[in-house]
Parts: sequence; C-alpha cells; structure tokens
Amino acid sequence: MKLDPRTKLFMVFVVSLIVMMSATTPFLWAIRLSITLIPIILMILEKKYSSALKFLLAYASALVLMFYFLSEQSEGLIASLLIGYCGIVVQFMPAIITAWYVVRTTKIGEFMSCMQKMHVPDGIAVSLAVVMRFFPTIKEEYSSINDAMRMRGVMLGGGNVLRMFEFRMIPLLFSCVNIGEELSAAAITRGLGGDVKRSSVIELKLGIADYLIMTFLAVATVIFVVFKYFL
Amino acid sequence: MSIVELENVNFQYKGSKDGSLNNINLNIEKGQTVLLCGASGSGKTSIIRLINGLIPHYYSGELEGNITVAGHDVRKTELHELAGTVGTVFQNPRSQFFSVDTDGEIAFGPENIGLEPKEIKARLNDVVAEMDLDDLLGRSIFDLSGGQKQRIACASVAALLPDIILLDEPSSNLDFDSIELLRGTILEWKRQGKTIIISEHRLWYLKDAVDRVIYMENGVMAKEWTGEEFKGLNEEEVKSYKLRPIVLEEELIRDIRGESTSSFCDVESNIELKDFFFSYKTRPYLLFKKKFKESDGELLNLNIPYLKIPKGKVIGLVGPNGTGKSTFLRCLCGLEGDCKGAIVSDGKIYKARQRLKICYLVMQDVNHQLFTDSVKSEVMLSMKDEDEKRCDEILESLGLLEYKDTHPMALSGGQKQRVAIASAIASGAEILLFDEPTSGLDYSHMEKVGELLNELASTGASVIVSTHDPELISECCDYVLGIKHGKAVYLKENKKL
Amino acid sequence: MENSSKKLKAKDFITVGIFAAILFAVEFAFGMLGYIHPYIVASYVIILPLASGIPMMLFYTKVEKFGMITILSILLAIIMFIGGMGYLGAPLIIGAGVIADLIAKSGQYKSFKKIVISFGIFNLWICANYFPILVTAESYRQDLIDGGYSAEYANNLFAAINVKTIGVLVVLCFIFGCIGAVIGKAVVKKHFEKAGIA
Repeated sequence: MKLDPRTKLFMVFVVSLIVMMSATTPFLWAIRLSITLIPIILMILEKKYSSALKFLLAYASALVLMFYFLSEQSEGLIASLLIGYCGIVVQFMPAIITAWYVVRTTKIGEFMSCMQKMHVPDGIAVSLAVVMRFFPTIKEEYSSINDAMRMRGVMLGGGNVLRMFEFRMIPLLFSCVNIGEELSAAAITRGLGGDVKRSSVIELKLGIADYLIMTFLAVATVIFVVFKYFL
Repeated sequence: MSIVELENVNFQYKGSKDGSLNNINLNIEKGQTVLLCGASGSGKTSIIRLINGLIPHYYSGELEGNITVAGHDVRKTELHELAGTVGTVFQNPRSQFFSVDTDGEIAFGPENIGLEPKEIKARLNDVVAEMDLDDLLGRSIFDLSGGQKQRIACASVAALLPDIILLDEPSSNLDFDSIELLRGTILEWKRQGKTIIISEHRLWYLKDAVDRVIYMENGVMAKEWTGEEFKGLNEEEVKSYKLRPIVLEEELIRDIRGESTSSFCDVESNIELKDFFFSYKTRPYLLFKKKFKESDGELLNLNIPYLKIPKGKVIGLVGPNGTGKSTFLRCLCGLEGDCKGAIVSDGKIYKARQRLKICYLVMQDVNHQLFTDSVKSEVMLSMKDEDEKRCDEILESLGLLEYKDTHPMALSGGQKQRVAIASAIASGAEILLFDEPTSGLDYSHMEKVGELLNELASTGASVIVSTHDPELISECCDYVLGIKHGKAVYLKENKKL
Repeated sequence: MENSSKKLKAKDFITVGIFAAILFAVEFAFGMLGYIHPYIVASYVIILPLASGIPMMLFYTKVEKFGMITILSILLAIIMFIGGMGYLGAPLIIGAGVIADLIAKSGQYKSFKKIVISFGIFNLWICANYFPILVTAESYRQDLIDGGYSAEYANNLFAAINVKTIGVLVVLCFIFGCIGAVIGKAVVKKHFEKAGIA
C-alpha cells in the first residue's frame, strides 16, 4: 500500500507528540500502543516482515519486562540497567519505529515533492533529503571501517578509549567528506541549485487510506490529550 | 563547427601540482567521440572538469585561457546553466547518486531544471527503453552492483538530453560484462550524434568507438591519434606509452568471465580450505542461526566444501561481479563470523577468529583501513611488538620510507594501497588477500602492483587477488581460480609474461 | 570559487545535510548510554560536546557564509523532534544555532577564538533537551513513574536535572563545548589539515 508522504509526515508528527506525553493510565497506554501498531502494520503491508517482527518483539518484550518484572520499588544495578533500557524502548521506540518506516519507504523524490507542496524552501528540503540519503551511507561506511578494525585487531584501540573513538571517527569523516564532495559535484552538474523552481515528477494525491489514517491519528491524539490533561 | 574550444588553457589546483594543465589547445567537433588517455595525474580529469565547469566553479585554482562549450563561456556561466548542455558520468558509482531509488535518480536532473512532470515522464520512458533498464526500475541504489549503478548514472545524465557527454574513468569499478554494456551505451550515444569525451585507463572496449585519441603527459597534450591509427598501434607501441593494452587475448577474457572450461589442476605445496559455506539470506532464520552445509545449494552465496590452493603463489580470483569473489575473500579471512570454514596450513588448523590472525585483506576502498596520522604509526599499529627497525625495513622495501611521517590520507591512491600492504606484512599474515587492487589504476601503477604481488609471494606469502583486469592476471598471477555462483569452478595454471 | 556570493549554494546545503547526519549518528551512539543511569543523562553536557567536537570543527572549516550553522540547528531540531524529544526545545536549539552563527560570522568564520565560543553556544541545544524535565517537573516525574520507570530512576533524574542544577549544566555545556572545540580542532589539524583536506 502506498501512502502519501504528507500522511507519513503527519504520522511522524503525531507519534512524536504522543511519545513526548507519557501515558499514565491503562486507557492512555491503549491509545499509545494502537498508534505504535500503525507503522508496524504498514511495514508488514510493505513486505518488510523481518523489520516489523524485530520492532514488535523488542517493543513487546520491553513492555512485558517493565510491567511484570520491574516496579516502582526496583533497586540494584541489574534492575536499574534493565529499567534504563526498557525505559528507552518503551518511551522512544514508537518514534523510532515510525521514523524508520517513513525514511525507509519514502523515496527522496516523493519527499522533495512533498516539501515543495508544503512550500519549504528548496535549500532546507535538499539538506533534509541529504540527511535521509546519508544514513544508509554512514551505515555502509561504518561497517566497512568496523571490518577493517576487526581485521587489524584494533577494535578496542589497544585498550585506549580515545583511540577507540578516533579510529572509528576519523576514517568515517574522511569517507563522508569525500562522498559529500563527489555527491555535490554530481548533483550540481545535473542542475541542482539553479534559479528555476524545481519541479517534481511525482504527483501527490491523497487516497482513502491516507484520509483514514490521518483521521484516526488526529482523533487518537485529541482523545489522548483530553483524557490526560482535562479529565 | 567546434562545440568545445579550449584556447591556451593553463590550470593549477590550489596547493597541488597534480593534474595541472599546460597550454592546452583543443577543438572538438560536434558528434566526435574523443578518448583522453595517459597516466594518473596527467590532467585527463582536469580537462573533463574544464568542460563541465567544475573547474573553476567547484574546484578552485589558477586558471588562464578561454573555454567555450556550446557557445557558453564556461568561466562566466553558472554550473547549473550548463546542466542541459553538458552531462557527466563520474568514476565512483557509490557517491554520484542523490536519490536512493533508481526512478528518482533518473528524474532528478529534469526536475532540477524545472521541466513539466509530463515531459519528465516521457524522457524517463525514452531513456529506459533506449538503455534497456526495465529490470532496474523501482530498486534501491544500495542493492545494486557497481555495473548496475553505473547504468543508472548514465541514464540520469542522458535524461537531461545533453549534447555533450563526459565520462570520467567510467569503467573503474565494473566487471567485463558491465563494461560491454557501457560500451553499448556509448555507441548508442554516438549514433544519436552526441559529442562524447571519455577519460579512461581501460582502452580495449573503446577502440572501435573513438574518432580521436589524445595522449596526456604531465599536463600537456603530448600526442594525438585518429581512431584508425589508434587501432593500428601494436603491442610494443602501446606499452612504450605506458598504456593498458588495446586488444585482449580471447583466453584471458574467458578466464576473467569465469567461463574457462578447465578443471582443477594439481598443486604440490598447498593450503586446504574446508567447509566454507555462507549465505547473506538470513531472513528465514530470524531467531536462530542455521548451520549451512553443501546441500543448501541455492540458498548459499558461498559453497566451497573443500578446496586446495597453492601456497606461496599469486592466485588470481576471477568471475563476474556478484557471484561470490568478495564473499569468498571476506569468509576466508574470517570477517564473516557466520562462516565456519577452516584453513589448514602446514598441518595447523585455523578456525573462526584464528583466521583473522593469518589472513589480511587489503580492501577495495583502502581508505577504510587507514587509521592513524602517519605512515609509520600505521605500520607499527599492526605489529604485536613495536619494532622500529623492522618497520623501516618494510617501508624501505615498498618505497615508502620517505613518506614515513606523512599522513596516509595525503598520499596518492597507489601509495595508500602500499601502506595497507606494509601493515599487512607487519602483521605477519601469511595469506594476503586483495580485493580488486588495480581497478582505477593506470598501466604503470598496475604493473607496480603486479611486481609487488610477485615479490610478496616470493617471500613465502600466499597471495589471492580478486580482479577484473586481464592485464593484471597476465602480469603476475601464477594460477587463476574461477568462482561462479558461489562455487569454485576451476583452478588453472597461468602463463605469466 | 570564482564568484563567491553571500548566498548559500547547493553544495552548502548538501554539506550541512551530511554533517547533520554525522552529528545525529554520534549523538545517537552516545545517547544510548544515557539510559544506563540518569546521571549519564546529565553528563551529556560533557560527553556530547567532546564527542561532536571533531566533526563540528571539520564542519566549521567548510563554513564560509551565514546560514549554514543556523540550518544545521534547524535540522537538529527537526531530527530531535522526530526522535521523540519533543518540540519544546526547538526554539532554543534554533536560537542557539543563530547566535552561534552570528558569533562565528563576526570572525569571518576564520577566527578560532570566535569559533570556540560559537561552538560553545551551539552546544546549548543539548540543554534544550532537558527542557521538558524542567518545565513540567512534578507532573513529568509522576509521568515517568506511571509510565513504568522506577522511583529510583526518576528520583535520580530529578536530583541531577532540576531548576537549581540547570544553571550549572548550561555553564558546563558551554565550557565543555569550548574544550570540545579545542580538542576537535587539534584532531582536525592532526588528521585533516595534515592530509590536506580542510
């Protein structure tokens, strides 16, 4: 199922908003969970099964741990470590899942088109598009560097924390700067940065699914806010 | 009428002598196909950059003379104004994409110049039909091979309908079959009457396509041939210009495509590989790791139950891209932890992590494996016990001693590679692996790599080098090992030059 | 560049995008540590400026025109919002970015002293993320506990970050920003300038 990028942006907005406001009652938790499930279901519809399953498992296990095995009175090192990690998962995972879904399923072209529709200046849109495009690049470069470190047996930087950091950071920066130079050159020779307004081959259209999801998200948010702050 | 005119052009990059140009006078007629050849740093790429305006608008330096391209004075024209006139295919397919998906990349240029969506779609369809790209549409750039990426790069340039197309060492990262496709694309552009200028080290695929060949030496246009004259050059002449060969031997072509009909030859002193199985498709096994075996066949990206390879020799690893050469190297040296194979050498068995100790892989992008701020400390980092004398010896033998205190990243590509080799030697690895070490190198640098590999083997190391360069194989390989669909298909002795 | 105008060009926007991605990757890697113990959340003001000093000093070498640092802060604000850190901090992040940009500009983006101060100010975006903890202290505490955190974690968090300590945190953040800039610059010199890039 293809969603309009504007719907996806709206979803990111709503989920971030909800994540920011903690759920405090079972009812609020229910809303939060159902909103979290939307991107997971969408992932399944986009055939990204393994990611969907991983996110679902991580989120579910953190929830279970948090509510059945840890409590307000939990103390001690292991418990506090667990609380820390379950805390991050339960608190921020919905935003991460949504962001992952949106970044993974939105083409750069769609994103640029969406930015144009929303009258975001081309410059900012280009920067944001580069951020999106660069995450997989950083991942790719980093894993090559990691391989090289393993091969040379310097994973731990010879026991020196600073070197551990330096050995990862320096080659990564060199690579990124190089790729950036070449990327800019290739983009500019193809006309990026001209005085004409960019056009877009992708025509955005909101479909029934878009309206359904947006309505659901909007209603859920309103209910959440009302129940949390006014009731 | 000349479409490109360079008049008394002098250029020098800011802070570097490399690639500077000296009194260049060049007129290129509309519809000509021109090849720029010559050593690295001779100024080929600089000429390309003059024509597409990256010099002086992107790479700064001292520029004199007049550059006119299709009536535009390049010095006074903004880069984006040249976009519909001049298109450039760059060397590195990894870094020239703005989008993540193929369709978006082809549409990117036309969108930038603000064409109507209808027009863009029409162009997209035309380009896809012309270049036969149907199977690549709707894919992620990150899942494509180097050859496929380069086809998309060509398409995204063609979608802007430029009259002039520049290609800067476009074949550097391609295998034989992809180069054939690239040749087809160039011939198609030629048929359409485009003006094409190619800077390239690999020459064999261009010999029938070019009208003029310009030989660059130290920033000067030292020699010019017509296409016919160029084709007629004999082997000796080509060599004397330090160029890569124009004609390839049939047998070598079969070898590098992994299509030789040979089987496995006998080797006396050898290293045994046992149970090398590996698959990238871990998806069906989300929660547990499957132990692979030979019978998993199709599922495996590497399927080598048993293989004997010669010890102390240079072995060329060949076969088309994406059929397991890199996977083989990664598994062999222990980088893929899921591959449980064992190496038996001198009666000792090395498994899993131990393999990392006796193997050393010099990666294709050598930038990833240089960490420190001087060549010396780079080598010392690999030693178990730091030994300055030994370090100097190694550097001396590789001709790097004078760069001892230089930052590795300040060196040229070939020198960086030698630094990586120096640290490999310092680590005491007895199996040295090279992943396409000569793909972007000119003839004399390639020759040097070949000599170096031979020297390494003569000190007792076993060298395995994956390559698409027939020239390198005839230069230095004692044996050729063919890999296809993850399986070793032949091991044959190779006649060295 | 022959005709260097004051206006930002495509290349500049791409550079900003790349460094925003790098910066975020660094923050993300270190941000994960924070959930081990709330005191680490407070010590972001020390860890993050030091860690991001290297990429940021490299970034400053690429800045020649007004706007790049500002846009970087806008991107950061957007990324933080998407990452679930809320929008309350956004005006602060962007404000810090604009001021940092102005300070660096007053030194033509060359004066190292100005760059150090500029980066110190820029780092205040880290404190902006504490904002929700401060503004909504009591209800946020209860939220955390109801939301599944233990009382111990919540108490520690509020012991480390509250209206009294925030002043100290802001000052620390600035100071370590300056230190991060000095260290970062040293690394940039050691590697990138020595290698002839930057």
